[in-house]
Amino acid sequence: MNPSRTPQQLLVRGAAYIALTATAVLFLFPFYWLVISAFKTQAQIFTLPPQWLPLPPTGANFVDIYREANLLRAFLNSVLTTGGHVLLALFLCSLAGYAFAKYPQAPGHAKLFNFVLGTMMIPGAVTLIPSFLVMVRLHWIDTYWALILPGAVGAFGIFWMRQYFHANLPDELIQAARIDGCSEFGIYWRIALPVARPALAALGILQLIGSWNNLMWAFLVLRTPGMFTLPVVIYLLNGEIRTPYGMLMAGGLLTTLPLVVAFLLFQRQFIAGVTAGAVKQ
Amino acid sequence: MSRLSDRSTIGAWWAAIWPYRHFYLFIAPFFVLFALFGLYPLVFSLYLSFVKWDGLTPMQWVGLSNFRTMLGDEVLRRALWNTLVIGVLYIPPMLGLAFLFAQILNAQWLKLKAFYRAALFLPCVTPMVVIAIVFGLLFSSEKGVLNYALGFLHIPGIPWLTSEQWSKVSVAILVVWRWTGYNMILMLAGLQGIPEDYYEAAAVDGATAVQRMWCITLPLLRPTVRFCLLLSLLGTLYMFDEIFVLTNGGGPGTSSLNFGMYLFNLSFGSFKFGYASCVAYTIAILVFIGTLITNRINRQRGGEA
Amino acid sequence: MSVRPRPSPTGMTRKRLSVAALLGSACVALLAGCAPPAPTTDTAVPVTTARPSGAITIWSWNIAAKALQGLVPAFEKRNPGVQATVDMTGARMSTRFMLALTAGVGAPEVSQLQMTDAPRYIATHRLADLTAVAGKYRDRFPPAQWQSCELNGHVYAIPWDTGPCAVFYKRDLFQRYGIDPAKIETWDDYIQAGKTIVEKSGGKTRMLPLSTNDLESMLEILLQQTHGQIFDEQGRIALDSPEAKQALDIVRQLRQAGICSDVAAYGQEWMAGFNDESIATYPGAVWLAGTIEDTAKDYPGKKTNWGVFRLPSIAPGGDHVANSGGSVLVIPASCTNKAAAWAFIEYALCTQEGQLAQYHSSSLYPAYLPALQSSTMDAPDPFFGGQPVGRLFATDITKIRRLNRTQDWGEATTYLQQGLSEWASRGMPEGDLLEALAQKLHERLDVPLAPAGTTPVAQAAGGTK
Repeated sequence: MNPSRTPQQLLVRGAAYIALTATAVLFLFPFYWLVISAFKTQAQIFTLPPQWLPLPPTGANFVDIYREANLLRAFLNSVLTTGGHVLLALFLCSLAGYAFAKYPQAPGHAKLFNFVLGTMMIPGAVTLIPSFLVMVRLHWIDTYWALILPGAVGAFGIFWMRQYFHANLPDELIQAARIDGCSEFGIYWRIALPVARPALAALGILQLIGSWNNLMWAFLVLRTPGMFTLPVVIYLLNGEIRTPYGMLMAGGLLTTLPLVVAFLLFQRQFIAGVTAGAVKQ
Repeated sequence: MSRLSDRSTIGAWWAAIWPYRHFYLFIAPFFVLFALFGLYPLVFSLYLSFVKWDGLTPMQWVGLSNFRTMLGDEVLRRALWNTLVIGVLYIPPMLGLAFLFAQILNAQWLKLKAFYRAALFLPCVTPMVVIAIVFGLLFSSEKGVLNYALGFLHIPGIPWLTSEQWSKVSVAILVVWRWTGYNMILMLAGLQGIPEDYYEAAAVDGATAVQRMWCITLPLLRPTVRFCLLLSLLGTLYMFDEIFVLTNGGGPGTSSLNFGMYLFNLSFGSFKFGYASCVAYTIAILVFIGTLITNRINRQRGGEA
Repeated sequence: MSVRPRPSPTGMTRKRLSVAALLGSACVALLAGCAPPAPTTDTAVPVTTARPSGAITIWSWNIAAKALQGLVPAFEKRNPGVQATVDMTGARMSTRFMLALTAGVGAPEVSQLQMTDAPRYIATHRLADLTAVAGKYRDRFPPAQWQSCELNGHVYAIPWDTGPCAVFYKRDLFQRYGIDPAKIETWDDYIQAGKTIVEKSGGKTRMLPLSTNDLESMLEILLQQTHGQIFDEQGRIALDSPEAKQALDIVRQLRQAGICSDVAAYGQEWMAGFNDESIATYPGAVWLAGTIEDTAKDYPGKKTNWGVFRLPSIAPGGDHVANSGGSVLVIPASCTNKAAAWAFIEYALCTQEGQLAQYHSSSLYPAYLPALQSSTMDAPDPFFGGQPVGRLFATDITKIRRLNRTQDWGEATTYLQQGLSEWASRGMPEGDLLEALAQKLHERLDVPLAPAGTTPVAQAAGGTK
């Protein structure tokens, strides 16, 4: 490429930078607003002209929401249900993915895999009501199971892991392990899993986002305040007669922060997980 | 068939299965969970489409009555119309922006790529319930920052969430904010899959940047764009959190009620399990048929499925 | 590695068949087992002399919740050992209550319901049977409200507040145009007065707000007066009757007399109309007074101007009463502390003390008849020019006819509202509107039509005054 940049090129690049920066600012603005509002009183939130910095900042919102909405408990619930869901999902999806990748001679292998792929086409809206009723029947309403189990083994997860094993797990490794007397499960656990770490990270992140942020299903299956996850607590606070916006923002910040931190630390894995969706099509 | 041959067939069958028992064991959890949360709900939902039931009182078989009701359901029509309008409002700008920024992010001369990518993608990972509440504050007619900023441009305050005309626009803005980064990443991946050689060859042939984009990028990106479009359309149809929180369930009135919210209202607002199942199934089947048709058209057109 | 044996072809088919059979039978089994869990056998609140104790939560909304909160200190003093908490979380309360009933988990000890929704919840058999402890209060509530809380002779909800209707009017406008409210006895008189006002004001002032979307609520009021019904005693659709036709006729007359202002109820213009000269009267329920008084606060300089006269009757000598709105309190059947829950309801709804406290604090009009006998009701209301408004609304309250409400009430009224609105936009043509609406309800709700010619039997008035 021609090393000298024409004025026209500089103009285009300048415009690109401006557009990109402006959009970045706009996209980040709600986060900024969330953070400062968490430290404002109700009155400060609603003054005009808007306060760009809370002066003086107040920590009262955090105290209030800890007291009134049992936020610590909600945080614990979110951590346990999301953690449980992600771990279970990673385990079961990798197990099934490994099986589909490394036992191609098993009778019915292809048909079973096509069946699994086919299930991706079922929209959640059609199965919502009966799924809820299954929860009622199993007495799982208002328990962690109701959040951990449904969706733990999805067709996409299986496909994603299978494809990774297919490409990155040589058969020779497996056969060598068999010769050494390793059990089938042992092969999966000690040989396949370590190899799959990048894929697991990406899949795990995807499941993490979905589970942590889930509102509708959590709203339906959690019935007592002691079991609510963070999104449910936030939503119910929002419906109060005099909406306590300060508290809402504090709770919202605490709900959002873990994900933002996780994202900044594992940006590459996030993006890999997201891009994986395009591959499946 | 004599009992002897039955037993030997089952025996043969078992002998075929047994060596691969681990395979079936490892994939079993999927099928168990699927039976519980996929297959059974699918079948039961179909059955529910023909009954009247609120979950507590006894079920009442009503045959095709639910389908007849669906045809005359004005609120359903409204919800579908709103879904269409919201989609038209946000999908073109979102895909356009996503494409634009994907192009920019793909450029070699760009600095701070990680930062821009992170900034644009961050909206996708956050809980919608929190974001919708923040947007609710920003969109406030009297005290919102947005109207305040518009005031500087001498534009009168817009009733973002309190007028029937603007509620859909507010939802559209929220969705653009939320999903542009996601689509951008997908398109970026698609762009990175286009070999550099094509561009170099075109440059050698004297093609301008615009021509290169028109003749190389866009056609080769078509599968990705189509995928993004499909995801967006389905997303608009079944979108829930945004409507549930930002416009408090479709308000004002039913002006921003989309199909997903309408279905939720039917299922867990009015508790009309039978009718809700019928509506969900019908729309799902229509969408399925629609996807099949578009796939077939695409295949006939260019062979890039 | 050793060679794996190849599977036989029949083995494949057999396998597919047996898998299919397994899945199929599992489905059938689950399907069969998916009838809702049977209601707990002991749903009744027992009569007990033991002191209630424990913590109870009450779900309620808005002003009603505030009223209940105000009662908590006095209640807890009467019932030491019980801690009562009123939960005002408004978000989707009816959804959360119904979810709790369905799942059997998470329901409060006491919950508020709209009077019009009560039959729907009672039909689920998930509410506690209050007959043993509350049966003795039957005669202390207006029969129209009490019967909405009953099913097969058992009572499952207690009426809380009611919405008896009358007409709020502006004294200065009536004086200016020479209308004497005492002379308005029937709806014909009312319409005549309206025409006079419209004519004399040159069209600036209308008699009442009645938009095409609010026709259904007006129809409900008139049905009570003509003794018409939407559903009959057996829950069949009884809309196509002479009584209902009479009610519909009055709606048509009101609209076609040109005396209605086309503003939507509870909208901006409707509210603004309280304090300008665009609308002369607001027929409505007693709780409208609170709204009117609230908006008047924004106009401190204005003289008090409002008065109330009784609802016009259908014919001379007819009833001047109807009801619109009201709430009840219920106890879910799954409640584990029914004694304490009942103690709260009894205090709040079945004592003069509880009911009058709520009337004073939050203007909730008592359903409890003995409370209405209190002299408090005779107090002159300065906002209404010294009229004893409380007593006016209490007059003949037991004569209000019950509208039979079934579990489909909400849906039925929605269809009616749509149907009436569409009819009005077509210019209210003569014809069999009620027959068409009845047919639509029949199809949409899968409820049989009452045979033609049967007069829906409205409950006879009873009870103490």
